[in-house]
Amino acid sequence: MLETVGQAVVNGLLIGGIYALVSIGVTLIFGVVKIVNFAQGEFVMIGMYISFFLATQFGIDPLVSLFVSMPVLFVIGVLVQHFLIRRVLGLNDMPQIFLTFALSLLLMNSGLMLFTANYRTVHTWYSDEALHIGPIYVPVAKLIAFVLAMVLSGLLWVFLHATDLGKAMRAAAQNRGVAVLMGINPNRVFCVALGIALALAGAAGSLLMPFYPAYPMVGQSFVLMAFVAVVLGTLGNVIGALVASLMMGVAESLGIQFVGADSGLIVVFLMLLLTLAFRPSGLGGGRAR
Amino acid sequence: MRGLSKWTLLSLAMLAAVLIALPLVVTSSFAIDIFIRVLLFSFIGVAWNLMGGYAKQLSLGHAAYFGLGAYTSTILQIDFGISPWIGMVAGGVVAMLASLPIGALCFRLRGPYFTIATIATAQVLMLIFLKFRDLAWGAEGTTIPNLGNAPLMMQFDAKAAYYYIALGLLTLGLVITYRIERSWMGYYLVAIGEDEDAAEAVGVNAPRIKRNIYLLSAFLTALAGTFYTQYIYFIDPNTAFSFNVSVEAALVSIVGGIGTLWGPVIGTVLLEATSALLQSWLGSSLGGVQLTVYSLILMAVILWRPTGLIGVMTEAYQRVAQRIARRNLARA
Repeated sequence: MLETVGQAVVNGLLIGGIYALVSIGVTLIFGVVKIVNFAQGEFVMIGMYISFFLATQFGIDPLVSLFVSMPVLFVIGVLVQHFLIRRVLGLNDMPQIFLTFALSLLLMNSGLMLFTANYRTVHTWYSDEALHIGPIYVPVAKLIAFVLAMVLSGLLWVFLHATDLGKAMRAAAQNRGVAVLMGINPNRVFCVALGIALALAGAAGSLLMPFYPAYPMVGQSFVLMAFVAVVLGTLGNVIGALVASLMMGVAESLGIQFVGADSGLIVVFLMLLLTLAFRPSGLGGGRAR
Repeated sequence: MRGLSKWTLLSLAMLAAVLIALPLVVTSSFAIDIFIRVLLFSFIGVAWNLMGGYAKQLSLGHAAYFGLGAYTSTILQIDFGISPWIGMVAGGVVAMLASLPIGALCFRLRGPYFTIATIATAQVLMLIFLKFRDLAWGAEGTTIPNLGNAPLMMQFDAKAAYYYIALGLLTLGLVITYRIERSWMGYYLVAIGEDEDAAEAVGVNAPRIKRNIYLLSAFLTALAGTFYTQYIYFIDPNTAFSFNVSVEAALVSIVGGIGTLWGPVIGTVLLEATSALLQSWLGSSLGGVQLTVYSLILMAVILWRPTGLIGVMTEAYQRVAQRIARRNLARA
């Protein structure tokens, strides 16, 4: 019994690392630009297809293709901010919500047209490897993904706290008006925020590829998970999103273990609804950091 | 209908005559099928628009009520032999009851997070119906027993009958919207949609108004669910709680003109016409084309004409009217 629980917790933490990359992106965009990016999951999908094609066409390992998917998605992020999101800032909810929602629909369905609905997988030498730590079984591919996800989250934290651009970003998140008065160019900061958030989604895609199939709708489950984690971890709070993502991963994994294979999502949604009912400002409560 | 001008009444009467005569003239069952889809999705759009359009509570979870309406009437019909006509109203009541706790949770959030919470509620309901097989047939769903021509059980040989039911539903939705638009409730809704804090500051009881409009919107959406199930003779969780229903309800309203009486109807006509054209050009071979085109239309509307097609038409009308006025002035 204890072993089963331990195994479920480990599985949950490992996939939770990927959820963290997606939800940190969502919370960063929400914190800085004040937009909820409904299309975040589709950028994970794009990251996955980039790694898939580099692996099948050129034999590049998905972990190496991280160095392609992240910059490509950074550029896409800047373009999305500059040509799309910038135009709806300051308008009411409808355009702000439905612009990224339309983008999500567009990317998903053009993915369907271009790549068909087939599942694409990449098999690497470490895809089937696993470590045995006592009675617990740790798949190597997921472990690598988790470690790199934590490293990237750590790098983001350092960036936000130690560089001028990072500080400008946090300043813009806290009070846009004052930040602009202090000489911060909001559009530049927003472009970088979008770029970083999408690069993290791209990284999540590449890290997933050795053990997870790519298909056009793959982003949906990740983005829903990220939304829940972002609410749970207090909107706009990067560390909150990280901790909440790991919790979501564990909750989902325990749900799959003890309730049934298809009930992971029920557990996650129930967590969301319970959070809304009892702690609508998130577990951290109050202020965004 | 007091207060309508002679010309408005005349054009409405002509529109009604055309719509009533349509199935007598057009007999192709493919065409009738499209007309029924247009009427049905216009009606769902109208139901969504009451809450999403006027009060700007942008739900993407109306499939919850569509599905509850569909399942209530089907369970009543198959397990208890109760006519779907009664089941339809019962489904509406069930949807209203469900909207109370769902609203209590979701209205704690505003803006995008309200939208996400509504997505979650519809998904939870779908998963419940998928998972708990004892509740209602699980993932396989069930077919509605075909009784031949049984008007009392909402089953007809002629497709035209379904057309008239859908037309009746849409008319109901439009009349209700028209009445609300011109009542205190309508002004409250618009005030909440414009700025909820300001509305509350001047004494609008926003939580109550939002709850009431959500009750009505849920009720109407559930009627559409019952009708759709009777029309396709089949129900399963994936069609009844389909995310596409939630999306299309919002999409037709936004594309046509959010928060306007005729917006959802115009939006549905455009989108369904596009979809029918695409289907006849490409066949059903290329998956994803329809929603790709829908999403491009939606983006174009958001970026260039947030008031939707109604906005475009009003602008064009005003430009023509101004030109005529200027010409008359010059002549005088």
